Amino acid sequence: MIEIKNLSFSYLNAEGKQKSENPQLNRVNLKIEAGEFVLVCGPTGSGKSTFLQTLNGLAPNFTGGVITGELLINGVDLLGAEPHEFSHLIGYVNQQPEGAFVADLVLDEIVYSAEQLAISKEQIAKDVQRLSRLLGLEDMLDSPLATLSGGQQQRVAIAAALIAGAKVLLLDEPTSALDLQGATEVLTLLQKLAKEEGVSILLAEHRISRVIGSVDSVIVVHGDGLVTKGKPAEQFNDTRFAPPIIELGQKLGWNPLPISTRQAEQLWERAPAAFEPKTINQPSGIVCEVIDLEVTFGLVSAVKKTNLRLFGNQITALMGENGSGKTSLCWAIQGSGTRTSGGVKTSAGDPKSLSVQERLAVTTMVPQRAADLLFLNSLADELHESDTFAKVPAGTTANLFQKLTGRIDTSIHPRDLSAGQQLSLVLALQLVKDAPVLILDEPTRGLDYAAKRALANQLDLLRDEKRSVLLATHDIEFVAMVADRVLVLKEGLIIQDSSPLEVLGHGSELASQVAEVTNEPGLITIGQILK
Amino acid sequence: MSVLTSNRAHFFSTSRTHPGAWWLAGLALSLSASLSSNLVALIAISAGAMFIVRLCRDNAPWSRSIRFYLFLGAIVVLLRVIFRVIFNLADATQDVFLTLPSISIDLGIGNSLHLLGSVSFLSIQAALVDGFRLAAIILSIGMANSLANPRKLLRATPGALYEIATAVSIAINLAPQLIASLKQVRRARGLRGHSKGIKALTGIIIPVLEDTIEQSMQLAASMSARGFGRKGNRTHLQLLLTRVSTFLTLTLLTVGVAMLLFSPVQQHVDLMVILAGLVFSAITLKLSSTRTTRTKYIVQRWQLADLFIVISSALILLAAFSGVFSK
Amino acid sequence: MNKLISRISVGVAGLASLLIFTWPLFISTGEQNETLLAQTVFIVLMPLVLILVLIEFATGDISSKHLALLGVLIALNAVIRLLGAGTAGIETAFFLIILGAFVFGSGFGFILGACSILVSALLTGGIGPWLPFQMMGAALVGLGAGLIPRSKRAWLQKVYLVGYAVFASFSYGGLLTMWNWPYLAGTGTQLSYVAGDAIIANLSRFIQYEIVTGGLVWDMGRAITTSMLILLTGTALIATLKRAAIRAGVGREL
Repeated sequence: MIEIKNLSFSYLNAEGKQKSENPQLNRVNLKIEAGEFVLVCGPTGSGKSTFLQTLNGLAPNFTGGVITGELLINGVDLLGAEPHEFSHLIGYVNQQPEGAFVADLVLDEIVYSAEQLAISKEQIAKDVQRLSRLLGLEDMLDSPLATLSGGQQQRVAIAAALIAGAKVLLLDEPTSALDLQGATEVLTLLQKLAKEEGVSILLAEHRISRVIGSVDSVIVVHGDGLVTKGKPAEQFNDTRFAPPIIELGQKLGWNPLPISTRQAEQLWERAPAAFEPKTINQPSGIVCEVIDLEVTFGLVSAVKKTNLRLFGNQITALMGENGSGKTSLCWAIQGSGTRTSGGVKTSAGDPKSLSVQERLAVTTMVPQRAADLLFLNSLADELHESDTFAKVPAGTTANLFQKLTGRIDTSIHPRDLSAGQQLSLVLALQLVKDAPVLILDEPTRGLDYAAKRALANQLDLLRDEKRSVLLATHDIEFVAMVADRVLVLKEGLIIQDSSPLEVLGHGSELASQVAEVTNEPGLITIGQILK
Repeated sequence: MSVLTSNRAHFFSTSRTHPGAWWLAGLALSLSASLSSNLVALIAISAGAMFIVRLCRDNAPWSRSIRFYLFLGAIVVLLRVIFRVIFNLADATQDVFLTLPSISIDLGIGNSLHLLGSVSFLSIQAALVDGFRLAAIILSIGMANSLANPRKLLRATPGALYEIATAVSIAINLAPQLIASLKQVRRARGLRGHSKGIKALTGIIIPVLEDTIEQSMQLAASMSARGFGRKGNRTHLQLLLTRVSTFLTLTLLTVGVAMLLFSPVQQHVDLMVILAGLVFSAITLKLSSTRTTRTKYIVQRWQLADLFIVISSALILLAAFSGVFSK
Repeated sequence: MNKLISRISVGVAGLASLLIFTWPLFISTGEQNETLLAQTVFIVLMPLVLILVLIEFATGDISSKHLALLGVLIALNAVIRLLGAGTAGIETAFFLIILGAFVFGSGFGFILGACSILVSALLTGGIGPWLPFQMMGAALVGLGAGLIPRSKRAWLQKVYLVGYAVFASFSYGGLLTMWNWPYLAGTGTQLSYVAGDAIIANLSRFIQYEIVTGGLVWDMGRAITTSMLILLTGTALIATLKRAAIRAGVGREL
């Protein structure tokens, strides 16, 4: 199907010269068979997306850069061809389907590429029927795309990618914006496509544990130019991005590494390891008190009457499904969000009644899309603006940022930082305001395991007698690493307020992978296990 | 889409007719109105347009806009009459209808103005005709706008306008997301401080623009990966031919306009030139439509009802040209 | 060769549209039926000329990147216009048309101008006989903005941009008022055009009409808001757009 020989790819530097000293992909050689289901993984920023995009001409045509080598598709070398020359051979689906839709109705979207390639109407009609049956889209062909759920939209995107007859499907993190159910739905379909239709599937994904069980092989893009392909269990020698069960296997020296929870369970049963109790920090005094807080939007009640105390020296995780009211509660506590009734008590008064400047000295927040807070043209400008606003000595924010991420060239454009670095930057910008309450809304979205561990360490450094951290997330493993206390929100009500050991322990609905595998009371995260 | 499948959809229902037919009808009616100086004919056209909307509209969001056009039409008539009364050009005719005190002002340019004064019956009638003419044009266009589904129309655009229509439909699909994004960024700005004043504008518009540009590149990548940009077998010669044809069309139209304005009428030579320009426009459109090969999978077909609409509006226009609606 | 013909065509079209906008100044016949006929012809010709120029610009090899960028900027413009609407004299659509055209060129600017107005009309329901004229006006603003000279000195660049913004605001206002002048003032008032009269005489009546109807105030508002927005956000926006252009590898081909 696809054969790559000596494929190298480098981006250009700011002067438009090739960065030959560290190519993104260096002399890659590999083959992909018909009907093969391949997971493409690697640390954030290693070039997973770039690797996929070289296969259908999007790199270098849309990314800039230089490509060399051979790219044989069905025996024909297509290296350097424009993306539209690939569209009948390779389908491409990206992260956010809604950002890549060209039409407004499902049918229009599906037939787009067939129309571009001037495929006959009869053929299109046949293909639409076949694909819509296969992907379960028959009932929604006339619906507007905007009314579909994320999983349905992703299925439309898959149908649209295959309509022109492509037998290879490239998917760049197709499940990252989906909830568990939507993701499972999409993955099952992909398996079916590979098995029944003989479509080769290359799936880039950082939530490896979701897919590892279903794939035939794994391609690892290592980030230093090296790209390797092999069986799932052989491919994870790099802990920078390994999922928890594999990390567990690595820590305990299991061989071969487990790729499913079942396997890991058996291995643990055979040779359980010793572990230390989870350190839960003792909270200091009350920093913030939420009294009878309610949030309604129109007729929808997002947060029902809530009472809550947040303490210093404590990281509180706020968990719950999509739409359970986490974000509304965060904004309401912070003071700039909608509140219907109730209030929040802090040492300086209710943040809602304070001016913006005063409020930020009491409650700061890192919103879901952290980059929304960045608006200047260089990192240096952002850091400087932050110092000025917080009235702190020049360089304070820069020091904090450096403490979080290490040294970074400050002339860089903030948008060119990685997702993890952007988050650290916004975190630094907010921390410098020195507010006793710090709220983080879904901070781990888009971060790989290494970046999450880095963030966990950063949060550990921020522990302070006078500071309380509130963390809204549905990332169970991350909560297991950092939280001292867990709140579970359901339909706008806090239904559970207890220790992470209880909420994330074995048998709970929100059990962490480690708890599930080991079945040991009191063990929820890998950090506890002694070698 | 439920509208499409509803059983209540009758012969002329907007869900079954071609949006282009309504726009042709709207254009024909507005041209007829534009040519007319007969108050009765103008009121008839306005009423006709309103009646057709009542008869044919479905319960779609754009169908309700006719009220806005009616309101606008009424305002225009009113304004026109008031303007006439205030800035009336004094002429000593007999049929003085109303005598108001006259005020003179000098704006420092041109003749000084004499406001109000005596108003003749004829001048009010002329103002009403002018006002109703514009109102009829507005209502005719309003009719088309109320009856034609804008998205369907976008899909029915000729191949020559394919790229433009694509850009427009991207924009329409993106607009609601942008509004959401603007709101989100504005709220997020409050977390950084400086949320007030005009300086905040950069802080809002830059993140939104960055996000949307990033999104647009994703979209472009998706379009390319799905075959956009494949060229048909258009030759260099064909391109040159299209360019030359466009040039000729525009030149003919410009010369025609200039003749219409500057030279005294000689058996409508000017109109002939413009007509030649129109013929050339059709050729140009055809030429540029054939430059790429694409399938149009979903095509809105012209129905009998559409034909009926187009023919009847063409007849009205013909009548207007032959002077039936003039005095 | 192709390019040259194309440029001449656009020039001719510009001339045609200016004639159509300003016809009351030039029309030589005094007979009412002839005037009505001319007025009717112009209602048809303006959209036709607009479409021809749009096709002329899109007929080149317009890339998916250009198209996507256009889509985004049109949407942003339409949304900003939506939010800014309702406040007298505040016109928020122009600064982005000018800056977009400045970065991506005249052809891009022409399409951006025309389609921004079209999309905002589609969103708000402001479609009417005036729409092609507004679209052409805004398109010409974009076309001209592509020709603003570039300067390495930041202050001088701002002077050029703001100077053009003021010029464009008043020209656009003038052209569109000129369009509604015969409709709203009609004939037979002291402020109406007189067919066949001297251009100067008609022009002075037109200016009186502008003053009396408050058109000039409106234009002033448009000039001030556009200039302010360019001064405040221009540098940052141009940098962002240029960065996008470099990253996407698109230039001023249009």
